[in-house]
Amino acid sequence: MTPRLAGLILALLVLIAPAARAAPVDTGHLKAELIAQTQAIAPGQTIQVALRQQIDKGWHTYWRNPGDSGEATKIAWTLPPGWSAGDFVWQPPEPQPAGPLVSYGYSGEVILPMTLTAPADAPVGQPVTLRAAAAFLVCEEICIPEDALLELTLPVQAQAAQPSGRWAGPIARALEAAPRRADLAAVFENSDQGLRLAITGAVLAGANLAGSYFFPFDGAVIDHAAPQSIDRGPQGLTLGLTASYAFQMPEPPQIMAGVLKAGDAYYEIEAQAGPLPAEAAGLGPPATRGGGLSAAGLGLPLAMVFAVLGGLILNLMPCVFPILAMKAASLAGHAHEAKAARGQGLAFLAGVLATFLTLAGVLIIAQAAGAAVGWGFQLQSPPVVAALALLMLAVALNLSGVFEIGTSLQGVGSGLAGRGGLAGAFFVGVLAVVVAAPCTAPFMAPALGWALTQNAASSLLVFAALGLGFAAPFVAVSFAPGLLARLPRPGPWMDHLRKVLAFPMYGAAAWLLWVLTLQAGPMAMARLLAAAIVLALAAWLFGLSQVRSGRLALRGGAAVLAILAVVAVLFPAYQGAALPGGESSGAVAELPYEPYSAERLAELRAQGAPVFVNFTAAWCVTCQVNEQVALARQGVAESLASTGAVYLKGDWTRKDDVIAAELARHGRAGVPLYLVYDTRGSEPVILPQILTEGLVVRALEAAAG
Amino acid sequence: MTPPSFSRRPVLAGIAAAAAMIAAPALAAPAIGKPAPAFTAVDSTGKSRALSEFKGKTVVLEWTNDGCPYVQKHYKTDAMQELQKSAAADGVVWLSIISSAPGKQGYKTAAEANTWKTDTGAAPAAILLDPKGEVGRAYAAKTTPHMYIVNPAGTLVYMGGIDDKNSADPATLQGAKNYVVAALADMKAGRAVAQPVSAPYGCSVKY
Repeated sequence: MTPRLAGLILALLVLIAPAARAAPVDTGHLKAELIAQTQAIAPGQTIQVALRQQIDKGWHTYWRNPGDSGEATKIAWTLPPGWSAGDFVWQPPEPQPAGPLVSYGYSGEVILPMTLTAPADAPVGQPVTLRAAAAFLVCEEICIPEDALLELTLPVQAQAAQPSGRWAGPIARALEAAPRRADLAAVFENSDQGLRLAITGAVLAGANLAGSYFFPFDGAVIDHAAPQSIDRGPQGLTLGLTASYAFQMPEPPQIMAGVLKAGDAYYEIEAQAGPLPAEAAGLGPPATRGGGLSAAGLGLPLAMVFAVLGGLILNLMPCVFPILAMKAASLAGHAHEAKAARGQGLAFLAGVLATFLTLAGVLIIAQAAGAAVGWGFQLQSPPVVAALALLMLAVALNLSGVFEIGTSLQGVGSGLAGRGGLAGAFFVGVLAVVVAAPCTAPFMAPALGWALTQNAASSLLVFAALGLGFAAPFVAVSFAPGLLARLPRPGPWMDHLRKVLAFPMYGAAAWLLWVLTLQAGPMAMARLLAAAIVLALAAWLFGLSQVRSGRLALRGGAAVLAILAVVAVLFPAYQGAALPGGESSGAVAELPYEPYSAERLAELRAQGAPVFVNFTAAWCVTCQVNEQVALARQGVAESLASTGAVYLKGDWTRKDDVIAAELARHGRAGVPLYLVYDTRGSEPVILPQILTEGLVVRALEAAAG
Repeated sequence: MTPPSFSRRPVLAGIAAAAAMIAAPALAAPAIGKPAPAFTAVDSTGKSRALSEFKGKTVVLEWTNDGCPYVQKHYKTDAMQELQKSAAADGVVWLSIISSAPGKQGYKTAAEANTWKTDTGAAPAAILLDPKGEVGRAYAAKTTPHMYIVNPAGTLVYMGGIDDKNSADPATLQGAKNYVVAALADMKAGRAVAQPVSAPYGCSVKY
């Protein structure tokens, strides 16, 4: 027989011979089947087979350590004599929270590979059917034990089978994804400072360690539900764990084995009891890690979605209300001129986008230059705040009718449609963004926090998305003739509306004056008030020039006064006001607190006290609202007293690199940021940006344990 | 300025969901050798029961949920009932505690709890109703069953699983090491409890 003929016969045989066969079994809440990496097996050969589970949505099965509750998936083979199967190669588990408990398991599809070895005397040519009983605990909210009797039929052939067929790839990937043994040294110590696990090794040096987590094999060594703190070191990391039952045994554990999730990699480790190595700690937690709507792991698409949502919500925030007022006035003016309204909408959008992108550019450049800046940074500068206050005043005076912008006094209904009107809408867009900065809306913070840790292009995209969301309602209204037609026809009511809307603008000016006072002290306030009066006089003179003769003289006088006012607030050397403790952020019924410092926080945590940290700023309206509606309430004060929690306040009203760095560490680019540290040394819980009294009280009570 | 509610209402609903997720507290575990956490709860006869009323007696706390397959393993085989009866015969106070929240698996009204007791022939000294999960949280009860033993001085001497076989299969009762039986025997003989803790197993407590 020529080799070629032999090859042909072999090929035919392969075609005729039955391939590996198995049938999935539906156990009720999952489908289970045995799969093989090869289509056959040879005597003496070891191949990879696997138990494949397709778990119903919302249900899960368990890892080898099921965590707080549950039971690991089991398999019992019934094999012909001489055949043997290995243990599962467990896939990295996912934590499955349920109320106050956390289990470790799988959802969706999971493939658990294991080896299968044929005896050397397995008869060639006869297919072999291998049986196994698999037992699952499948849980949603409730748990159901389910069983499956599974079969796998494999042809036995003379030559070793190579991986092929539908399951070769998935099994190879599952083996690849399984935790691997790397050259890692692991040590744990259970002391007054809690249970700490230090892991060192070349693969960890300089690795991204955000989201690192230890999954123990033994279900009694750690509290699975307690958050794990991460401290990086030059050669590895130290995890802060919460010791569980096993450490109350007369002889506590000497070995703690399990899976370390380090960044996106999984390693199998076996830690020995002993003193912790210094090179596994000291560099603090990894950057960008937070709870809840965390910045870490937020991809570009999701960050942009959050940014659009954040921009939309920004329209509702109190600091934007005066701008809403202006928008409404301007839109009312064009209610019955669809084309003009569209032009206004687009000009507004352009103004918003241009300003957001400019701000993003400045932020990116400043960060590249090493400055610790974040969202709202422009309001940390007293001259900017003072100038904005004057601008608000000027806009308010304009709305009040003290002077007009544009050509005439012919009435707001008709005069704004020309080129000047477009420029005006663009300017409104610019102004809206500048003033919106202090309002970090929900959804916006994670997006911005993410954006500012990415490359410039991603940052700019996220900021552009924010601008789109922010401008969307106004643009939508300006493009919907149906909506416009519902607005009443122009008439005297528009003048009344305009004058009413002036008052929120006065309010905004007053608020900025208050911010400046906190930033730069009473002298600055006096100067700004004087400048405001001079500016008001200038505005009145300008208005007079629009209705009287002798225009040039009046206008000249107005211009000189206006310039004087602006110069008076822009160029003095602002000294930092000595912010006295109780005044810095001005809540009415202020809680007793200590100023934030990293040292004080570390000291309190070492003492085991729960700590509530509030990063705030006077110019942050969200922060101020939270102070009033949640933090100033009796319940919070009582809860602080009863839990013994210490309240630390970090004031970011003025530029502060330490606070900026701390914000960045939690994936934030601006205030507010509320952290609750518990007594067990865990990672802090990040509270939402909109607080309620009950929410703070619950978080404090949880932290106190 | 603008009233606070202006900004809060539209977003509160979304925030509440996120907050519940973020602020789910971990349970603080009680400690062996320390006083067992005090509690007061209403039993299925409507009586208010406190741990302190059993001072001077050994008390077994059993977290239970009749819908849980792991609990059923011990009740359908009468294993738990027999253990309760033999404990009672030794003067041990057995308290079965239901911490399932209303609407969740295992939740029982007083009447339902009494029916369940009659139907299963369960023999605890009392069934405590803890629908708010207060007793459960005080003990960091994670599973059903989850067992605790308090000695006559009020000190916690055992906490953990009922036995060493994490399975809902009744066949696993054969050859299982029952930690509660072992601990009660140690106490009866005046010895220290040899195995004071073990990993609890079963369904999660449905707080």
